[in-house]
Amino acid sequence: MTALVIWQFLWPFGLIILVPVVLGAIGGSAWRVFWPLALALVVGVLMQHQVRTNMDAYSSKQILDVGIAIILAVSLTIVNGFTGQFSIGHAGFLAVGGYVAGSITYYGSFALFGSAGATLGTMSGLYGAKEGAAFVTGGEGLFLFALLAGGLIAALLGVVVGLPSLRLRGDYLAIVTLGFGEIVRVLIQQTPQVLMSKDAIAAAKPLSVPLSVGGSLGFGNVPKYTSLFWVYAAVVLTLIFAYRLKQSSTGRAMLSIREDEIAAEAMGVKTTYYKVWGFAIAAFFAGIAGGLYAHTIGISLSPVDAGFQKSFDIIIMVVLGGLGSISGAAIAAAIVTYLPELLRTPDTLMKFAVVGVPMLVIGGALLAMAGKPDQGPGKKRGHDPRAFPRAVIGLGVIITGLSILAFVAKRFGINLSDYRLILFALALIVMMITRPQGLLGVRELWDGALYRPLRDFFSARRAEGGAA
Amino acid sequence: MTSTVSSAISMTMSDAAEVLKGSGAAGESLEVRGVFKSFGGLKAVQDFRLSLPPAALYGLIGPNGAGKTTCFNLLTGVYRPDQGEITLGGKSLIGLRPSEIAFTGLARTFQNIRLFGELSVFENVKLACHLRTTHSLAGVILRSGWQRAEEAAIRERARALLQVFNLHDRMDESARNLPYGDQRRLEIARALATGPKVLLLDEPAAGMNPQEKKDLRKLIREVRDVFGVSILMIEHDMGVVMDLCERITVLDYGVPIAEGTPHEIQKNPKVIEAYLGKE
Ligand SMILES: Nc1ncnc2c1ncn2[C@@H]1O[C@H](COP(=O)(O)OP(=O)(O)O)[C@@H](O)[C@H]1O
Ligand SMILES: [Mg+2]
Repeated sequence: MTALVIWQFLWPFGLIILVPVVLGAIGGSAWRVFWPLALALVVGVLMQHQVRTNMDAYSSKQILDVGIAIILAVSLTIVNGFTGQFSIGHAGFLAVGGYVAGSITYYGSFALFGSAGATLGTMSGLYGAKEGAAFVTGGEGLFLFALLAGGLIAALLGVVVGLPSLRLRGDYLAIVTLGFGEIVRVLIQQTPQVLMSKDAIAAAKPLSVPLSVGGSLGFGNVPKYTSLFWVYAAVVLTLIFAYRLKQSSTGRAMLSIREDEIAAEAMGVKTTYYKVWGFAIAAFFAGIAGGLYAHTIGISLSPVDAGFQKSFDIIIMVVLGGLGSISGAAIAAAIVTYLPELLRTPDTLMKFAVVGVPMLVIGGALLAMAGKPDQGPGKKRGHDPRAFPRAVIGLGVIITGLSILAFVAKRFGINLSDYRLILFALALIVMMITRPQGLLGVRELWDGALYRPLRDFFSARRAEGGAA
Repeated sequence: MTSTVSSAISMTMSDAAEVLKGSGAAGESLEVRGVFKSFGGLKAVQDFRLSLPPAALYGLIGPNGAGKTTCFNLLTGVYRPDQGEITLGGKSLIGLRPSEIAFTGLARTFQNIRLFGELSVFENVKLACHLRTTHSLAGVILRSGWQRAEEAAIRERARALLQVFNLHDRMDESARNLPYGDQRRLEIARALATGPKVLLLDEPAAGMNPQEKKDLRKLIREVRDVFGVSILMIEHDMGVVMDLCERITVLDYGVPIAEGTPHEIQKNPKVIEAYLGKE
């Protein structure tokens, strides 16, 4: 039954999906171009379809937020994680992308369709279109164009912000990026009121029209096209692109800059070139995320979206997930976005103990069993059979800690979600002390090297068993 | 030459020649004339000169702080000389960025090892193959045929080089987890991966034990023989220098005080004075 419904959504895309399948079968290289698009479509359609059948409005909005956060975190990973340039003004690009795209669809809709209302097709709008809506609409075309335009303008600014990184290092560069975010925020604050009607637009100076985005009053009238389809299609494409980049020679060039800029340059890496590209690519995806955010129902863009608070949220995701890890950033983005919700429901959080306490017990037992680091084949530098039990205990401590926190909060009637920022700051401090490289370090979830502690643990055990 | 157990290079000559195919190890000489460099009031290098013919193995020695590493930094574009001429195969290197100089064919190792610590051994060498690639960012996004062909070539080349240096069984390890001696050798392998005509080694034997030093001697000689690169080496261990180098330049307080064969250098009174102080 579900399959049938999904097919109803997918069949118009059938050609787009079939073409790469056929190409792949004949062995054409075009397969590699098309499969990400096909996957993006399938994932997008599946997500959109889920909304109509299973989810309430509130949950689907949260899933949408998670998707946008993933795009943002993965984009920042390219600057902070790959090239190692510490940018703390990433929200500036989000805001630029959002305002540019929002202005294009809002005023573009007036120009093209006579009003600013969204003309939703089947795949647009968080809660879907009305019965009998067209499959795709011209409004969606405008929306897609606006997203790309927002991304490209943000990328251009990324180049401008990236240029100081050629001369500045570390803290100084961070301050420049911070300044960039604040400049964007202040500039947006100065923009004139949104023009609400055709007459108002006709009366205004043509050049000032696209800049009339509401200043500090916010820009809430953007047509609400964003849906789980668009967001998750973008998530899939962002993830695939970031991974392809990381796996490529170009990505290695970026990583080498972060590891040792002087050595990278000496090995022939044009460090300035790749640093600027890093900024441009990251800004592009942040701009796309901004565009998606701007067209989300219930969102009113405001200058605050360019501010440090927002940038800090994204940094937390990247640092917690592991600088340079795409999957780490994505996981952390999901957790950081979803945690406030969990904090609102202490009862759910308390149940975490069911998982956390056994992890503590098992981890403790394994630690007792584990050999010393200088025994067996674990003797090589960097091999420690105790790393795996420690990781289990570490995760156990976090999970159990959360449920204890929830218990205490419930007992004393504290609303944990009020303390969200303190909790994140604490999490960051604990992470910096116990695992400074973040959850996954530079590795991906599926990298074998990530599971080396597991191997070290068992190989040390086996060696001991053999000796006995 | 055949592959033998005792050889530091665990590959046949033809294998290695295959590895370096198309890397341009053609005979070009490095010419340095009248190079000066000061840092504020400190005259770090004065009138440095050197003529390094193809496939040569020369040494650069001198007491600590004599300006040897500064010379390397001048050659590789980390610093720009105040005056003087540096040419490789007749092409001037003055004013080029270090990455452009690496592309021209000058590769180096560092006195204080500078590997990409978080990256794997394999990735360290693969990265050094990057400068000869030609695919674009679009190729990366779209995984074009050309991009994949170049990536495959890089993998093959890096794997072969690691085999030559006997590091292939630690390929996936983070570079920072290698023992010290292996890190020094990995730096040489990485430098070779850039396809250099001239290889600059900054104290390659520093911190090695006698056995490692012995292996290193063999390795350096074979790298020169097999890959046909010229090598200029800074080294404090006189055993290594006198054994390996065909000619030696001695620096003292930034000034080249002597140049000649190891035999000549050992007897040169100025050199003895620089090392032992005036009697
Ligand atoms: N970037 C720099 N700024 C100032 N002084 C420097 C710099 N680099 C090297 N020096 C100085 O130049 C002199 C030569 O240093 P160096 O070339 O490292 O000597 P070595 O022969 O031991 O390799 C030293 O006195 C050192 O302090
Ligand atoms: Mg030195």
